Amino acid sequence: MVLPNASEDLSTEMEVDAFRRLFPLRYYECHLVESIRPDGRALARARDTTIALGAVASASGSALVKIGSTTMLAAIKMEVMTPTMESPDEGCIAIDFHMPPICSPIVRPGRPAEVAPVVSKQLSDTISSSGMVDLKELSLVSGKAAWMAFLDIYCLDADGAVFDAALLSATAALSHLQIPAVSMNDDGKIVLMSEEDGERLAQEPVNKEKRKLALRSIPFSLTCILYKNYILADPTAEEESIMETQVTIVLDSSSQLISFYKPGGSVLAYTPAIQDCVALTRQRVKELQSILDEANSAMEVE
Amino acid sequence: MEVDRPDGRSPSQLRPLSCSRGILNRAHGSASWTQGETKVLAAVYGPKAGTRKNENPEKACIEVIWKPKTGQIGKLERESEMVLKKSLESICIRSMYPNTTTSVIIQVVHDDGALLPCAINAACAALVDAGIPLKHLAVAICCSVADSGDVLLDPNKLEEEKMKAFAYLVFPNACVSVLPGGSLQVGKEPMEHGIITSVTHGAMSVDDYLHCLERGRAASAKMSEFLRRSLQPQLSADPSKAG
Amino acid sequence: MAGKAATTSTTYSPSPTTLKTKAPIFNEDWVRPDGRGFHQCRPAFFRTGAVNAASGSAYAEFGNTKVIVSVFGPRESKKAMMYSDIGRLNCNVSFTTFSTPLRGQGLDNKEYTAMLHKALEGSIMLETFPKTTVDVFALVLESGGSDLPVVISCASLALADAGIMMYDLIASVSVSCLGKNLVIDPILEEESSQDGSLMITCMPSRYEITQLTVTGDWSTPKINEGMQLCLDACAKLAKIMRSCLKEAALGSQE
Repeated sequence: MVLPNASEDLSTEMEVDAFRRLFPLRYYECHLVESIRPDGRALARARDTTIALGAVASASGSALVKIGSTTMLAAIKMEVMTPTMESPDEGCIAIDFHMPPICSPIVRPGRPAEVAPVVSKQLSDTISSSGMVDLKELSLVSGKAAWMAFLDIYCLDADGAVFDAALLSATAALSHLQIPAVSMNDDGKIVLMSEEDGERLAQEPVNKEKRKLALRSIPFSLTCILYKNYILADPTAEEESIMETQVTIVLDSSSQLISFYKPGGSVLAYTPAIQDCVALTRQRVKELQSILDEANSAMEVE
Repeated sequence: MEVDRPDGRSPSQLRPLSCSRGILNRAHGSASWTQGETKVLAAVYGPKAGTRKNENPEKACIEVIWKPKTGQIGKLERESEMVLKKSLESICIRSMYPNTTTSVIIQVVHDDGALLPCAINAACAALVDAGIPLKHLAVAICCSVADSGDVLLDPNKLEEEKMKAFAYLVFPNACVSVLPGGSLQVGKEPMEHGIITSVTHGAMSVDDYLHCLERGRAASAKMSEFLRRSLQPQLSADPSKAG
Repeated sequence: MAGKAATTSTTYSPSPTTLKTKAPIFNEDWVRPDGRGFHQCRPAFFRTGAVNAASGSAYAEFGNTKVIVSVFGPRESKKAMMYSDIGRLNCNVSFTTFSTPLRGQGLDNKEYTAMLHKALEGSIMLETFPKTTVDVFALVLESGGSDLPVVISCASLALADAGIMMYDLIASVSVSCLGKNLVIDPILEEESSQDGSLMITCMPSRYEITQLTVTGDWSTPKINEGMQLCLDACAKLAKIMRSCLKEAALGSQE
């Protein structure tokens, strides 16, 4: 008596799965009328988000961020450079975004993903226009030495909303960054200071103690999909491939609009939809801010 | 509204526009677009058979190649390519020639501000020249926000550097329909009020952005008119489409 | 991009003021930097299913060495490939820019790629997926020594997670020869001052070796001792990998 039942269950299950693969758009529409998504989320709901700080031991600052199964690992390595003539009191942040072949079936070795340099550029733009880091803080000796912060972000698993996760990991790594204690030696080179040196004081310390950056308004982002009159927040890779029109909004903690990015798409964005997306982003900013604060305070306790 | 512009324009005054089509012999379609000193050349080849890997073979695909004035292509150009590709794909009727690729080559002749919108306008005119089926035309415009919150349209390079933020917006060109019922409406807003593409740089308030949209829409009507006019003569020369 | 490349060459990482004196490895009372016994491996941690987008994946952590391996396929071979009765194996190993103490370029490691391919090839039943390709991509998140053995073991686990047919799991362990001493599973510091190294990749339940590499200065008795050490460690490692797979299977059943 058990067997036929089991096979029947299997067959209905197969049908749903086949339907999903053959008519993805119809499958989604059936869900959308019920105001729910196949993964059980409400339309406006983002996936669970976690931040783990200090994931990379050899870096001065690092963060592992997960939004659903989209995973990003960001790490900062500090190097010393000679500042430019135009801004002798400023350091520099070099941001690079990588999509290694492990993250998605689309990326193959030797053929880098097309979106990687674009996301890289958007991250640099976003972080510089939000003004979250005062580059003067990265100065060591005016005109002679300044920090160059290499911020590298690796996508370990790409399942939609790649930019959102990348930005969150970048800001989290910057909030975790500890600038090492250094001094300048006789040759004018910057060297790390160990504890014994502090006692000897043979060299003039340039940066006496390990310190953190004072971050001003932090930018957070939310990607939404526009499909007909529906707005789907924080899409998965499947949703992104089926419904093409995406809008990415970046707001900072003081509600300034840092970026409104809509690259084409068959659905046009009208003012009401734009305002709805901004409202969703405002909510998400609060959520992400508290997740980041929690991660930072957990680090302090340790 | 008391912002002085170096070239004496009013805040919502565009620079002189010019557009010429069919300037390249070998390309299937070509156009040049000039806004003040900014000039971009666009050439269209195709549709050619086959699409690249990771593209949907059930639809026509557009590939954009950006040629800067000098030097090599960097991240900025890659971003422009991506924005152009996505914007053009959304105005093309992509179900018409499935599994084909149309190449759009953008050559920057001179950059004096609002480069990306200029390139989008040029590409759109070149697509029409090549006879690629389009749903509608698109017009792109650059709106910049001054520290005072004033919106200046179509800034040149000098102005761009002084602004706190700017937005590149692409609007659809309203279809002039012969069908009864007039122009297309989506809800309460006319179709040409929706945005196809938006790219912003710099921080501004949300209200500033909405203000940009409003001013951009008003100016896009004028540009649509210009684009339509400059594309018209050749169409009326074609006997099958006359009248 | 060009501007950035120019600046990279002019930057440097601040070095410590006092250079560490080289550890006196020839002394009788030398202890390993992390306090392990000479024949003691680092605690191994494995987890399967680390990457959702892949058909199979695994994450491995041996001390500071952290590795992710994704397996894609069996899927369509590249168009340029000729018809083949048996399946193909395609490997790639790359490092993150922050994997090494000094910031690297994050490029593909051709040598490790070739070694990984050779190590895995013998264990996979290629005839079970004709005309198609299985891609094994590894990313070393942090390099803490013995990177290649960790990548190989992790890749084997990822293949199992993807359901690729294999004769056996592959485990890989290396030993370093430091003066008179043989140390197993060396860390970065030990690898940099080693006189020679030996790496064994084997299928423990079949007691078959798929790859053996020896570099540097070795005497025959030392090689024998080293091989025995590695084989024992491989058997233990395979047990840990097996239990990780079992746990994952139990977890998915519930």
